[in-house]
Amino acid sequence: MTKEVMAPEAPVKKKKIASLDKRKARAGWLFVLPFVIGLVFIYLPILWEAISFSFFNYTTDNGITTKEFVGFKHYSTALFGDADFAQSLLVGLKEMAFNIPAILIFSLFVAVILNQKMIGRAAFRAIFFLPVIVSTGIMESIMATSYGASGNGMDLGMEESATDKLASTMALEGLLAKIFSSLGVGTGLVTYISSAVSSISGIINRSGVQILIFLASLQSISPAIYESCQIDGATSWETFWKITFPMVSPMILVNAIYTIIDSFTTDTNTVMGIINSTYVSTVEHSQHISAAMGWMYFLVVLVIVGIVAGIFSAYVFYQRRD
Amino acid sequence: MTHNMDSKPQVMRETKNKIRVDFERTSLKERMKVKYLSVNFAKNVLWYIFRLLLLIGIAFVILKPFYTIVIRSFMAPADFMDTTVVNVPRGLSAAIYKSIIVDIGYFKTFFLTLALSLGCALLQTLSCALIGYGVAKFKFKGAKLVFLMVVLSLAIPHGTMQSAIFYRFQHLDIFGIFNFLAGGARTGIEGIDAVLSKIHILPDNFVGGISTIKSVIPLFLLSMTGLAFKNGLYVFMLRQFFRGVPDELEESAYLDGANTLRTFVQVILPLSIPMLITVFLFAFCWQWTDDFYIPLFFMADRPALMTYLPQASQNIPASLVSIFKEATAQSPSASYRQAITYACGLMASAPLIVLYLFCQKYLVQGIERSGIVG
Repeated sequence: MTKEVMAPEAPVKKKKIASLDKRKARAGWLFVLPFVIGLVFIYLPILWEAISFSFFNYTTDNGITTKEFVGFKHYSTALFGDADFAQSLLVGLKEMAFNIPAILIFSLFVAVILNQKMIGRAAFRAIFFLPVIVSTGIMESIMATSYGASGNGMDLGMEESATDKLASTMALEGLLAKIFSSLGVGTGLVTYISSAVSSISGIINRSGVQILIFLASLQSISPAIYESCQIDGATSWETFWKITFPMVSPMILVNAIYTIIDSFTTDTNTVMGIINSTYVSTVEHSQHISAAMGWMYFLVVLVIVGIVAGIFSAYVFYQRRD
Repeated sequence: MTHNMDSKPQVMRETKNKIRVDFERTSLKERMKVKYLSVNFAKNVLWYIFRLLLLIGIAFVILKPFYTIVIRSFMAPADFMDTTVVNVPRGLSAAIYKSIIVDIGYFKTFFLTLALSLGCALLQTLSCALIGYGVAKFKFKGAKLVFLMVVLSLAIPHGTMQSAIFYRFQHLDIFGIFNFLAGGARTGIEGIDAVLSKIHILPDNFVGGISTIKSVIPLFLLSMTGLAFKNGLYVFMLRQFFRGVPDELEESAYLDGANTLRTFVQVILPLSIPMLITVFLFAFCWQWTDDFYIPLFFMADRPALMTYLPQASQNIPASLVSIFKEATAQSPSASYRQAITYACGLMASAPLIVLYLFCQKYLVQGIERSGIVG
């Protein structure tokens, strides 16, 4: 009888090997860690402070601030007390429905042109970059003063040129209206196009960021794809719709959402104007009412962003398998 | 062979070791005709002209408001008091520019702003790329929530939270830990409060959190965490871009033994140079001309930054006052002050144009993105 010798069992290593999915999830958290830290320690406290401001009344007495919880009182004052607020919210929505497609189409068109080889491309690109500088910060206020006349004798000329400009755009509008009505197109389109012409300078000056984003996106398309298209005999029109458009579609989503947010939250927006003027007005608790207005407004903006993102996401093409 | 005699190669000239042969070919006239009288050529020319006219037209609309600004900043002092001069000056003078460089110390302002903007822009580009890559390529619980918060941070303008932001950085604290360790925590119960106030692990200035106001710390903190001005846009852009990068690229890098960070740095980032440069440009420009955060965080300190350059017209340098008085025998008019503001604005934005011209060289098509053959 031979004794079976049991080989001593190798000690089972208790080291856990995380699955690839788990490891990837961990890596994902590592990548977004800077933002999460900022969110928890900086942004959310700020947000909390700012939101709670609209639910309280602060009264400072001898340097001691006391808070008094008032619930939704400021919100109802903002909604029903100020007739302008609800009204201009609607006007703002209408404006957006018109401006956003115009800005998107225009900026994509310009980006495609600026991406082509031509003489003086760098100069044109630099000029189209100017609206990015002018759109915010110190240059914004300087440019604003250059448009408005300040009552000085020297500024008469500028006023004149402003009326000149108005006259010329009005003439153009009239001409366009004539052309389109003679073509027998519906009046809806006529008003759309003529108002697009009249606000063309506004659209151009608000498209700077979008043009740059589209340009960066266009440059990320592999030239090999275009080459194979050309070999297959596709026209440039077909190439645009079959290659360029799907490839920049992720950035169309970005630009749509950015344009919405930007046009809603710049200081020149009517509703933002009301919010800002309420803040400095002499009404009791005006700052709290202004904050309440702001939060309601941003909620509306976020809902619109959500709807637009939902619609656009269905058509966005990503070059990957899912 | 049914060859025409005409198409035979014709020997033109023959020397000892050279021979020149002319083959029968379509005449130059014919060739030009085919090339330039086709519909295709006409279409190209028309498109070229249309494109050029369109670009010039749009450029005109953009540049038009700059005309007044540039002209007035160069106008001679006497012209400001002459009512017949509108936008065509009689005399030119660069005195304002000279004064900005010499009296206001443009170069010091330039280098300080450059250091600050470069630091902030690089931090923002890096952090936004990391965050964007994280939400684009990894599936983890909460990824959607993180992205939602990114969009939220973009949608709520910082201007409306001004006082909350200021308060936060004046009393920067981690859940009251600093306050607690410095003995500043209070509960309202006497016995516990007496114990709490005995804690002095951290010095007294930590009571109520650290004040980071009047320093660049708030700006850098915001930049590092992707919460600075419009950073939500950068994260969104980069996320959309990274989502379009085929997964096969990363998979092959993983197979070669690279970890996620290395894959990101060595494989993904080189592909995204146009995107990264665009983000960097935005971040740099908006930090350079910023007039919200710097006055908010520095208050009355007023460091020599571009933010304060246009305010020079409120406090006109003595040399300009004397130049104006010499020319007009009056103290500087409102329109002259305006002209100084214009000159400052132009001086502030000129470096940005130069930077853009430098960067746009890298904004070219031709970076192979897919990296996959077949």
